[in-house]
Amino acid sequence: MADVTRKVTQRILNSQKSRKMPVKIAPVQLVLLAAVIVLLIAFPFFPFVNNYWIDVGFFVGIYVLLGLSLNIVLGEVGLFDLGHAAFYAIGAYTTGILYVKLHVPILALLPISAIVAGGFAYLVTSPIIHLRGDYLCIVTIGIGEIVRITALNNPFGLTNGPNGVTGIGNPDLGLFAIRTPTHFYYYIWVIIALVIIGLLNLQKSRVGRAWNFIREDEIAAEANGIDVRSYKLLAFVLGAALAGIAGNIYASKMMVISPDNFTFMESCLLFCIVLLGGLGSIPGNMLGAAAIVIFPEIFRQFASYKLLFFGAALVVMMIFRPGGIWPRRREGVGFRGLGISGLPKDENEFLLKIPKEAVLVPHGADPAQSTTVKAEVAQEKTINNIVLETQNVTMQFGGLVAVNHFDLKIREGKITSLIGPNGAGKTTLFNVITGIYRPTTGKVIFMGKDITGLKPHTIIAKGIARTFQNIRLFPSLTCIENVMSGPHCHAHSGTWSSILRLPVQKKEERKILEIASYRLNQVGLWEYRNELAKNLPYGKQRLLEIARALATSPKLLVLDEPSSGLNDKETEELMEFLKSLITEGFTLLLIEHDMNVVMGISDWVTVMDMGSKIAEGPPSEIYNNPRVIEAYLGKEE
Amino acid sequence: MKKTIVWLLISVLSVALLITGCAQPSTPTPTATTSASPTPTPAETIKIGLQAPLTGNFAAEGQWAKQCVEVAADLINQKGGILGKKVEIVIADDGSNPKDSALAAQKLISQGLKEVIASYGSSVTAPAADLYDANKVVSVGYGCTAVRLTMEKQRPYFFRTAGRDDTQSEFFAKFAVEVLKAKRIAIMHDNQDYGKGVAEDAKKYLQPYIDKGECEIVYYDAITPGESDYSAVVSQIKEINPDVWFFTAYYPEAALLLKQARQAGVTCTFVGNNSVPTPEFEKIAGVDVIKGSIHLNEPMPQFLTTPEAKEFMEAYKAKYNELPGSIWAVYAADALNALAAAIEKAGSTDPDAVANAMRTMTDAKGITGPLMFTERGDRKNIPYYAYIYNEEGKLELYWPKD
Amino acid sequence: MRIFLEQFLNGLTIGSFYALVALGYSMVYGVMKLINFAHGDLFALGSYLGYTVLVIGAGWITQVLGVWGGVAVALTAAMLGIGIAGLVVERIAYRPVYKAGRLPLVVSALGMSIFISNGIMAIWGPRFQAYPPDAIPSAILSFGDIKITVIKLVTLIVSLGLMALIYWMVEKTLFGAAVRATALDRDTATLMGIDFRKIILFVFFVGPALGAMAGVFAGLNYGRIIFNLGWTYGLKAFTATILGGIGNIPGAMIGGLLLGVMESLFEGFVSGAWKSVFVFLVLIAILIVRPTGLIGEKVAEKV
Repeated sequence: MADVTRKVTQRILNSQKSRKMPVKIAPVQLVLLAAVIVLLIAFPFFPFVNNYWIDVGFFVGIYVLLGLSLNIVLGEVGLFDLGHAAFYAIGAYTTGILYVKLHVPILALLPISAIVAGGFAYLVTSPIIHLRGDYLCIVTIGIGEIVRITALNNPFGLTNGPNGVTGIGNPDLGLFAIRTPTHFYYYIWVIIALVIIGLLNLQKSRVGRAWNFIREDEIAAEANGIDVRSYKLLAFVLGAALAGIAGNIYASKMMVISPDNFTFMESCLLFCIVLLGGLGSIPGNMLGAAAIVIFPEIFRQFASYKLLFFGAALVVMMIFRPGGIWPRRREGVGFRGLGISGLPKDENEFLLKIPKEAVLVPHGADPAQSTTVKAEVAQEKTINNIVLETQNVTMQFGGLVAVNHFDLKIREGKITSLIGPNGAGKTTLFNVITGIYRPTTGKVIFMGKDITGLKPHTIIAKGIARTFQNIRLFPSLTCIENVMSGPHCHAHSGTWSSILRLPVQKKEERKILEIASYRLNQVGLWEYRNELAKNLPYGKQRLLEIARALATSPKLLVLDEPSSGLNDKETEELMEFLKSLITEGFTLLLIEHDMNVVMGISDWVTVMDMGSKIAEGPPSEIYNNPRVIEAYLGKEE
Repeated sequence: MKKTIVWLLISVLSVALLITGCAQPSTPTPTATTSASPTPTPAETIKIGLQAPLTGNFAAEGQWAKQCVEVAADLINQKGGILGKKVEIVIADDGSNPKDSALAAQKLISQGLKEVIASYGSSVTAPAADLYDANKVVSVGYGCTAVRLTMEKQRPYFFRTAGRDDTQSEFFAKFAVEVLKAKRIAIMHDNQDYGKGVAEDAKKYLQPYIDKGECEIVYYDAITPGESDYSAVVSQIKEINPDVWFFTAYYPEAALLLKQARQAGVTCTFVGNNSVPTPEFEKIAGVDVIKGSIHLNEPMPQFLTTPEAKEFMEAYKAKYNELPGSIWAVYAADALNALAAAIEKAGSTDPDAVANAMRTMTDAKGITGPLMFTERGDRKNIPYYAYIYNEEGKLELYWPKD
Repeated sequence: MRIFLEQFLNGLTIGSFYALVALGYSMVYGVMKLINFAHGDLFALGSYLGYTVLVIGAGWITQVLGVWGGVAVALTAAMLGIGIAGLVVERIAYRPVYKAGRLPLVVSALGMSIFISNGIMAIWGPRFQAYPPDAIPSAILSFGDIKITVIKLVTLIVSLGLMALIYWMVEKTLFGAAVRATALDRDTATLMGIDFRKIILFVFFVGPALGAMAGVFAGLNYGRIIFNLGWTYGLKAFTATILGGIGNIPGAMIGGLLLGVMESLFEGFVSGAWKSVFVFLVLIAILIVRPTGLIGEKVAEKV
């Protein structure tokens, strides 16, 4: 343990040395970028490059587009999609059919293909988006096969069965038609350039971060205010739309498409591109695509063995560079890596001003709420200062009653502790309050409003934040990124404003960073801001989790065993810190086992055993309560 | 980690050794006249491209095509080559898929070839044919039978040595109704380019007979290629019990289907299309199963009495110790023969002259018969025959016995 | 009714193949949480090993031991060989990648799958290979109108028996308990003194060995094998695994049998061309209602 701490501290010291330099894009990277661009532009004019190599360049482009599109789903969000060729097929077939049957110009079909593919993705993935890992994987394989076989079976004479759609035209820009390999080469790479700019903007925005939070830990993301379902769907829709664009370009280049283009093998190739390149890494993706296309071309000489080498290369690659050729680097790049414009050069400047917003943008009243309940409870609140109340909550798992007709009242500005022996149902009650479980019966009232059965991300936006018993951070993201998930639920900028980098969005991003910096500093982790969360020692991870919860600007903070795993000194510091939160205006609900903590800071203690409340009162009273002693130590005979 | 690397190297090496060791007998090294990559040879060779599926689902067909074309090239070179120059075959793999096909075509075009043999599978051939056409390269298909390839639009530089789906289907309709006197006909395809094409055309050509009430189609559906157990379809066929069961796909499925059907007690007449009667078909299904089954085909290699066919088969057998595995590969060899004859006639490799010669030549002799082409690039006068497997499992001519 | 029964029986036979292959997927998944994409290709490799044994030994094994003796030798050799191949694959392609997480493992598995299937092509060639006819038991049993080959019946009985054996092993023996414990929580199981390596060896030997058995039986039943056989069967078996609930032994069996029966009935009574579409639609429908498969346990992630 101590060893780990030393290592981390050492690393931080090292990285701080380097961080003293002004944060700018390293000249090496700029030169590299310029070189790649020049290379791409000049490629068709190289002496050894004939039409064949230009076409190879074009197909690299197609796979770059496809790789980027799958990267959104697989790389950014971590969803196993092994049927991505389906969306590619939808785009290609939309283009083919509409051009051949209705003579819609190819260029007009570019956005139409994207929309149709995206819409299709929305329709087919929304019923199955909740499936986990491998189950989602087989369903996407299924979607891929369904699309391919449907195209084969020629429904309504549209797809022309195995022959495919023929006679598709080339894109025509009016004055100039895209025809030759060189035209197509520039055509696709210009589109790729635009797509990459958009994706980079999106990746380094609220949306991109939300995707990464989901990839890192779905439950923690939901509990921190990310609407997991919507963001997953968004990823599928965007990914599919991009694949649709690739389909359109492919169809117009080949002039003929058939189901053979969209096999399961194709989806597997795309999968390999993303993982070869590196999850969520755009340059990595390009390298991956280039490798996948060029590798077999080089081995065309050894035709029969090329796939053999390819298979072996995949294995070797994963052994030596499991993160991909060019993984996305997050740690130690400073705030620059967040892609937020207009930041001060010195990151420490963030600490100088305290963001005024305790609550960034308070959400308005939920319109779905019935007014009568609201009036009634709101009145009670004014009398008793009740922030949260559970009314008669019961949680049953099959025959097991984990929480039994439980009433809990939490008063504003107080620290309430929920104690009880292991298995008493405390964490279950927490999960009911924060929306992870829906109670079997009973109600949860927060600030006078019924929040029973709302989703966790809605509840957090209303002002209940939580931490987890087993810490659930976003391990491969930096500390500051972790905390930036907090203000997410109060921010608004969406996909388009992020892609276009509208001024509103920029302002909001800066605000999010300010709040996150403030909270990170508040728990004393400022110096670790650019470290990955998984590299922190245990005690600091707990603090980071609290900072993340605080950054949601909650009214009520629900902490599940905050002191577990901490040493005495750390526990003491924690107690002081929790008390200071009360003065800042937060209300706290704790589950705690450490009686010193409970007795030391609680204003009110509720004791739970076997799912029921057995006692409540101020700490001193509970300390001597015979029923409580019995529950903990067993009945004296 | 180091250990892992050592392990890995050892295993990769051993597998590589195993492969090179085992692969030798099955794929003999190319002869001096043929080469997969353009070798710096003096100008007195004529380079002809061969685009074939050396990998992917139709890898076997590609390998056969390569072997057949190489044998044909050897024969041409033994006789002094074309225009006094030796033929050199430049090979590009199209991986049995349309994207790689386009790349393979572009590769051959970029190497400056003017005449190309390409390719196997209609949907794989189509994008390549477009490219060859746009770049004025004469291409001759050998395993692509979809009607649309020549009829949808005029491709001035595209030809094919194989027949069209509809020729065969028309023959089937006539044969089934008028010769076999079938009343109840089952048609089964594999939902792929070729099989479905033949099946749909068969349905079309049966329509007049159906209208006259002479027959009916009692089953029309697809099987899934690549599977091994077709008992579900077999049970269905058994239940329907048609007079004639027309199967339009490839021999691997045909062999399994027929075997499983005979084991299940299906007794109806099985009619296979021209991709069925191959040595592999006989090997997988066995004599007991195939006897009595009828197969439609262009004149088959072993029934070809022309000197060209005999010569080719002997040369092939001498080199590979067996007959070509598929008729399509023989068509690939004939594609080379056609190109050779056309170049000879045109007196140069100029694509326009060669394409023109292809259309107008009347005396070119191929392994599979005279090599003559229509204005649109289809092979002229492909006669069809029905063959039957006799009790010994050997093919005999069944109809028409002219 | 007769035709229905016949189709049902057809489905069961096909399904028993799927189930055998699916078992291997499920065992490996249960313990490693890894979709072993190479499993289908190990199955194909098993088929080729059996083929090689039968071809080489066609003269003497069959003469000395009879047709069934030859079958037994081929089965044993293939199962042993592929069991070892499974261990080698684990050692080369998976063990060095475990630490890196699940996605790289999946790619490594895909790479291995491509490598094996093309390795088969390089060694045995791209063409179909036919199992030697005189090595295949050819007797046919008739039950009234229904005819069934003896080898089909044996396949059905042996695979069902073997599945029962594996089920018994995993559910009723101490070692099985260790396997299940490892599947549930590897760290705790290791702390409880379970040798994780041993469990890995077990699943990577037995899973592929079962696949190899299915492979040899496939060769014997259908007489024809090809290098990419593993893709078709691998995908089906994977579907079956998910259908039943991945990582659980009875799930794989039920999934496999159900998949076979569904395919057979749909192809027999509705349409062969739309068969796979139907199967996947049913799968999706089942997963919408039961997100972890038919008898998959509910994922109760502790929060």
